[in-house]
Amino acid sequence: MNEPGGGEMRISTENDIVMARKSVREAAVALGFGVTDVTRIVTAASELTRNIYVYAGSGVMRWRSIVFENGIGLELTFADQGPGIADVERAMEPGYSTGKGLGMGLPGAKRLMDEMELHSEPGQGTTVCIRKWLLRR
Amino acid sequence: MAYGNISVIKVRDILLVTVPPDPDDLTVTELQEQVLQAMAVHEAKGLIFNLSTVDTIDSFFARTVTETVKMAALMGGLTVLAGMRASVAITTTQLGLSLGSTLTALDVDRAMDLLGTALRREESSA
Amino acid sequence: MTIQTDGSANIVLGAEQSFRLLVENVTDYAIIMLDPSGRIASWNPGAEKITGYRQDEILGQYFARFYTPESVNNGDPEQELKQAVEQGRFEYEGWRMRKDGSRFCANIVMSPLRDPQGTLIGFVKITRDLTDKKTDKKKADYARSLIEASLDPLVTIAPDGKITDVNAATEAATGRSRQALIGTDFCEYFTDPEKARNGYQQVFREGQVRDYPLELRRRDGGTTPVLYNASVYRDENGQVVGVFAAARDITERKRAEERIRQQGREILELSTPVMQVWQGVVAVPLIGTLDSQRTQQFMERLLERIVETNSPVALVDIMGVPTIDTQTAQHLIETITAVRLLGAQVVLTGVRPAIAQTLVHLGIDLSGITTRSSLAAGLSVALDLLNLQVVKKSAHR
Repeated sequence: MNEPGGGEMRISTENDIVMARKSVREAAVALGFGVTDVTRIVTAASELTRNIYVYAGSGVMRWRSIVFENGIGLELTFADQGPGIADVERAMEPGYSTGKGLGMGLPGAKRLMDEMELHSEPGQGTTVCIRKWLLRR
Repeated sequence: MAYGNISVIKVRDILLVTVPPDPDDLTVTELQEQVLQAMAVHEAKGLIFNLSTVDTIDSFFARTVTETVKMAALMGGLTVLAGMRASVAITTTQLGLSLGSTLTALDVDRAMDLLGTALRREESSA
Repeated sequence: MTIQTDGSANIVLGAEQSFRLLVENVTDYAIIMLDPSGRIASWNPGAEKITGYRQDEILGQYFARFYTPESVNNGDPEQELKQAVEQGRFEYEGWRMRKDGSRFCANIVMSPLRDPQGTLIGFVKITRDLTDKKTDKKKADYARSLIEASLDPLVTIAPDGKITDVNAATEAATGRSRQALIGTDFCEYFTDPEKARNGYQQVFREGQVRDYPLELRRRDGGTTPVLYNASVYRDENGQVVGVFAAARDITERKRAEERIRQQGREILELSTPVMQVWQGVVAVPLIGTLDSQRTQQFMERLLERIVETNSPVALVDIMGVPTIDTQTAQHLIETITAVRLLGAQVVLTGVRPAIAQTLVHLGIDLSGITTRSSLAAGLSVALDLLNLQVVKKSAHR
């Protein structure tokens, strides 16, 4: 399931959420992240994958390792063609939810990761990109 | 009794629930069902969730557990969450999940002690 | 002197006229004639330019005039005449003296002149002032020796990205000979060829680049971290010829940086030791300012130790923390919350007045947290929580 360096999987069933967690766990462990960081990354991925399933019905999760001067990182991208987010700022506030969720997904994922980028337009779907860095040694 | 990999064991009037390592949503929902049914059947006064094998807690899991705790309380049971891993505790806190004011214990042993003390206190005040 | 025409518009000169014209117009060479005894029989503008003597003051003079005193003492002028006679043509480079006493390096060709019968009628001497050339060559040699002596790998890169020249240090750094390097792409010797390409392209665009980090690939497979300083260099017309780049090996520096980082981490660990003070009680005195990273690390260590030692009480003393900002306060609250999730409890001790003020002003709610003024008082609470009691030993056994 995991190719060295990166991979991709479709999110369309409830079961895909736990499969996504497993793939991400594998990738994060392979890169050498410590147990707490692995937990953070997997939890963030779980939240964002759940968002795809709950709000858009289906989408795709991609992951890849990235290299930079001082070390390496893991980048995860969650993309869907769902309804999009009308008010990104509010969506980033903890507790705000337009659905049945707790509203923890986006702000939570942001807190757990080092970087997050969000692109969303109502009617045009949503793409969330998150990254965590692992410094060399 | 067990459903797949959920185990619910009765110890005196306490139910000990062992949660599998990375349960999918279906299993988590089923957990709630199983727990509440067991509570009804055994009229348990205490409930211990053994989280020592859980390596991820996301918002769905947290919400379901918190709900279960409230439901169990309505059915007369006091819950203790036991053995959460350090990495999971840190992540859950940073994710912003509070798990309410549910009692917690470092391991099942201490959870039993805690329930014992708490239940005795309830009885003496009743 | 008669001037003849060949019917066309060209002017045909007699041989002597041609020769005279040539000699009179050459200013870079001294072309003179000596009589058989070595006296100057003819002079030209070039000779005047090179030696400084005018025709009217030099004709008839003995040609040793242009030799340095040491040469004259040595008998060089006579020796040279003799050689010209014997060998037919004689060329050499040596020092000569000008009218003003200054010396110059000259290339001299001396040939004997004979009449058709073979009688010596004199000598023709052609002298070239080599001073500039020698200086140029000296300068060039000097510059090259500096380049080769440099400890930093130096390289020149053409606009198409090919290496045009290297020094010895580059050969050593890459493990390849200059023949193997010259003509190849600069980029292929780095772990990130794209980055290397962007680097020299930036130099061509902006004129220079400083401290550009790259990883050099050595022949043995290893890599060396380097920083490049590079600039464009031009020809006499000001046209850019290529990029001149100097690499600085920063392996030692990186090692030193890593040592410092490691020491920093060790200091961090030393300064937040989570100690088990009793069965079921861990304590950690926090000292110094807490930044985000430190607090994060502290949180992980504390929780790990709590699980390791199975301690339901954690005494966290912040007497040694002078100031606290919003983010740190929030991290602290996070830590306390996370500890609760484990099934343990934090007793915060040593809250200084300044910290207390900051926390209240920040609106941080510490009402759910047990606090005490000192670590000792905190220990008392801990024992209480564990249902333990300290009893004095009885006097008699």
